[in-house]
Amino acid sequence: MVGQRSPRPASRVAVGPVARAAVLVAFGSTLLAGCSGGFPADPEGTLDEVTGGVLRVGVSANPPWTETGVGEPTGLEPTLVEGFAETVDAEVEWTTGGEEDLVGRLEDGELDLVVGGLTAASPWSAQAALTYPYTTSPGRDGKPVAHVMAAPMGENAFLVALESYLLEHQDVQP
Amino acid sequence: MSAKTPATPSRSSTPPPSSPTFGHTELPDEQADALRRATRLEWGTIGFLVVGVTLVYLVMGSSQAMKAAWVEDLLSFIPPVCFLVAVRFARRRPTETHPYGFHRSVGVGHLVAGTALFAMGAFMVVDSGSGLLAAEHPPVGLMEVAGHPVWAGWPMIAAMVLTGIPPVLLGRAKMPLARTLHDRVLHADADMNKADWMTALGSIVGILGIGAGLWWADSAAALFISASILRDGVTNLRVATSALMDSRATTVEGDQPHPLVAELDAALADVPWVVGSGSRVRDLGHVFHVEAFVVARDGRTPTLDQLREVRERLVALDWKIQDLVVSPVEQLPADLLPGAGRTTAESDPP
Repeated sequence: MVGQRSPRPASRVAVGPVARAAVLVAFGSTLLAGCSGGFPADPEGTLDEVTGGVLRVGVSANPPWTETGVGEPTGLEPTLVEGFAETVDAEVEWTTGGEEDLVGRLEDGELDLVVGGLTAASPWSAQAALTYPYTTSPGRDGKPVAHVMAAPMGENAFLVALESYLLEHQDVQP
Repeated sequence: MSAKTPATPSRSSTPPPSSPTFGHTELPDEQADALRRATRLEWGTIGFLVVGVTLVYLVMGSSQAMKAAWVEDLLSFIPPVCFLVAVRFARRRPTETHPYGFHRSVGVGHLVAGTALFAMGAFMVVDSGSGLLAAEHPPVGLMEVAGHPVWAGWPMIAAMVLTGIPPVLLGRAKMPLARTLHDRVLHADADMNKADWMTALGSIVGILGIGAGLWWADSAAALFISASILRDGVTNLRVATSALMDSRATTVEGDQPHPLVAELDAALADVPWVVGSGSRVRDLGHVFHVEAFVVARDGRTPTLDQLREVRERLVALDWKIQDLVVSPVEQLPADLLPGAGRTTAESDPP
């Protein structure tokens, strides 16, 4: 955008940008018109599939946030997940495993959500969409640690629905 | 800037002693005023960028397009800083070690700005291009604004609107000053500022794309912004390098010969006792360095008065012409004046 980009004289400022702006705005409007569903929307339709269906959740043990053993997982986060599933009328299907395995499955679209006492400092931020921190608790060194869950990348309608629920339940404390 | 007023050798039109200078070139009122306003505008730009960069950083989240826009904002610091530093140096008077003065500081500043833009643009093109190829889906969730949960895309769009408009106004104000001062760094800066709204609009479209469930829109917008940074870099590098290579003096845009070169040649040819003339003019940054060659009628040697008159004629053409050498020669040195044979024949009086 510097120098001799376009030796158009007076029209350069007057017409060019306006025409380009019009194209961009038209493009933007098309995007908006294209999304019949909510805003933001899911590229892969996770929220649609979960609603009235099955919420596939991965759990890795991290008491008191998550506890796995015989039967269904328990703990603060499974309780929150059950509560969220109710708001979208979904049945929860639990998968237990290690964090890395679960995040891999989340990336492959085999899971809709991973919980395991994850924090905002989690190294998985390039593989998963970490939610808005729904609570903070003192960490090992006494400093506050923000707690998050891991959702699939870019499924923003699902992410927003989950975060909306979590923000209403911020009083969770271990 | 009026602190050290040079004791200039006698000159036909001596400006008031308080006027600012580039080296030993005293600036006419118009240029002095432009310099003051440009300096103020650049400080204003830096102030605005500090606010803008902070604002965008706070809301950018994981949008590639927002990141690209933020990086462009960061890069926008370079031209104003280069301008302020370069102008500071350019004002110094020539010294024994720097007999041509410090005007080249403009070229150096321009080269630095161009290199930074090029490197960052190339990096961002690869970064956003690989994001597009890897089909990265950017997550944009909720954030709390004053206790209310809002989709984080909206604050991003608001930040882009806020940071997209002022640079355009700044750029439009700087552009005429860049021409008046013949300052390429200022011109590059003004041009980048003027194009800033495209970055902002590109980011907004990218974020709306994410909202619409089109994961690729964000990376595509980022790619568009990065490509524009890269193009800025390439153009600036080319113009800056060419000026540092002592190419023929060009306009501040760098796309055509400076009209002053033709005026200068016409003025030389206009001198009654001159039958052949030629010149080479290089752009030192702000000001020109001129070497003029004249062949006197009938092979006579021009008098010192005649030579002084030519000098004064040329210096009076424009404030940029001051560092000037007029050489009387028996015939034009073809080696030093490539392509000059043509003009000599034409300018030969009947």
